[in-house]
Amino acid sequence: METGIAKAAAQPQSQDLKDPAYLKIRDVVYQISGIYQPEEKLYLLASRCARRMSAVKASTPSEYLDYLTVRGNREAELRLLLNEITIGETYMFRSPAQLEALRNVVLPQILQAKSALGFKRLHLWSAGCSTGEEPYTLAMFLLEEKERLLSGWTFDILATDLNDNSVVAAKAGIYGEYALRSTPDVLRRKYFKAHDANHLQVGEELKSLIRFDRVNLNDDSKMTFLKGMDLIFCCNVLIYFDLSSKRKVMQHFYANLLPGGYLFLGHAESLYQVDDRFHLMHFPGAFGYWKPPLGYIGGGKK
Amino acid sequence: MKTLEEILPRIKELDSMPSVPAIVQPLTALLRQNPDRVKLEKVVELVSYDSTIAAQCLRIANSPLFGRRNTETVRSAVIALGITRIEAIVLGSCVNRIVPHDKWAMDALTFWRHCLGCALVSSRLAKLIGYADPEKAYLAGLLHDLGILVNMVICAPEFRVGIQKAHESGIPLHSSEHQHLGFTHCQSGKILAEQWHFSSDVTAVIEHHHDVINATSACPLVAIIHLSDLLCRMRDLGYGYYEAMGVDLAGDAAWALLVESYPALVKMDLARLTMDIDGAMEEITNVVNAVFKPEPAVAR
Repeated sequence: METGIAKAAAQPQSQDLKDPAYLKIRDVVYQISGIYQPEEKLYLLASRCARRMSAVKASTPSEYLDYLTVRGNREAELRLLLNEITIGETYMFRSPAQLEALRNVVLPQILQAKSALGFKRLHLWSAGCSTGEEPYTLAMFLLEEKERLLSGWTFDILATDLNDNSVVAAKAGIYGEYALRSTPDVLRRKYFKAHDANHLQVGEELKSLIRFDRVNLNDDSKMTFLKGMDLIFCCNVLIYFDLSSKRKVMQHFYANLLPGGYLFLGHAESLYQVDDRFHLMHFPGAFGYWKPPLGYIGGGKK
Repeated sequence: MKTLEEILPRIKELDSMPSVPAIVQPLTALLRQNPDRVKLEKVVELVSYDSTIAAQCLRIANSPLFGRRNTETVRSAVIALGITRIEAIVLGSCVNRIVPHDKWAMDALTFWRHCLGCALVSSRLAKLIGYADPEKAYLAGLLHDLGILVNMVICAPEFRVGIQKAHESGIPLHSSEHQHLGFTHCQSGKILAEQWHFSSDVTAVIEHHHDVINATSACPLVAIIHLSDLLCRMRDLGYGYYEAMGVDLAGDAAWALLVESYPALVKMDLARLTMDIDGAMEEITNVVNAVFKPEPAVAR
């Protein structure tokens, strides 16, 4: 599943794609950020590299690889490349397979476990919510399930970001066609109101479900108190963290989740060698990271 | 609902179906010889007799999944693919022909996408963990669901109900077969595999790929195919419907069994393997469409 922008991106010449430097760039990006591109999709990476190569005036992929690996400003350059890779991923209903997994597998499992303990409330956290597309998507999804799966349940969503401007924009909830391009008309009519000729604004019903806040995921003092989560969504945020920071954040997430809860990352992100306490769970077309309940005995490595 | 004893005579009839290619028996006999003694020209000759198999060999040899070599003749395709891969193509073609067009209870291309996907993932997984015979894993992956074809032919009405119910409820196909047929494709597939003298390890895979724990032979191979099958079904290479389940591959009994013999599995990057499968999806679809659709004439 690639982004709309990625689909539209000019495909570099197939001859260029045979340059082994692209595979090396792919591996560097994966090793440092956890974002992976399979070989068949290298043209996506190549098109993103092309923009950065043009910006730094690198004439070959191999020369650009040097910018990412040996030059003094390599960390800044990698960050700029990651920005290019993830640009265009911020829109509502970006991951239908993830929502299907929530509807068909994850929520039924969590609801059953919590019901057995007498709980009827769900807590979700969009960690790194950017301008709010993800938490509003989750809010719509939950409200649409209120008469079926979630009948008799209440729920709340915490949406946090490091960037103050993003939090302000998320609270305002004003979106153009790009952010709404995958949002069905029926949901637009139900949950949004007109803002101006080209924008819709989120209505109060959605806003009332979400609490926005500024949180630095590296801030232990704040992270320690965000307990009791059933689901955490953290898409394309950890890719900017170094390994030790990632591990620290994962420790927090693990503690923040209730047993049986799930962490969802971006569709191309991996936690390989970052944390081995979460179980990688495969769902049709998606995967998530599971904090098993106490007493879970798998037949495998755990 | 039928019992396995009741369907046994009908499975035996499959052996004499005229649609089974005439070259299969001599070709598989030839390919079972010690590879050092197999005469290349004889294989080329036999493959060339059957236009479907010849075309499949060419198309697979020319696919990017197998290195795309601009292969134009059967001879160069046989050389490019190697004897084991040719055997897989021959058996796949043979298996495909046991189902008449009107008996397909699921989309044939969807079925073969699953089988080819499983073959590719199995051989990839086998290589990653250091299993000695990745080509065997490819063959076993391709043929693991032989019993589904058997069930489509000999228990068509019940199988149609079984797959429809699986679609509706999102449960695994073998569970639905068990409810609506009284047995699964694992059991019926095993009977045909023995009848067709498939190797014992491939037969073990066909019989036990959904209950690895009960396999008494070829356990690592059975476990590899079991995990690959699960992975494919979670990556849009399943049976064409939404299986409502979450799979903890590293928590699976097959994983534990494999880890005992192949410690490399513990360090395998499962997320990366999964994303590689996603990336290969389009090409797998292309290969299956090319292989299982009518083909043009082929230069020998």
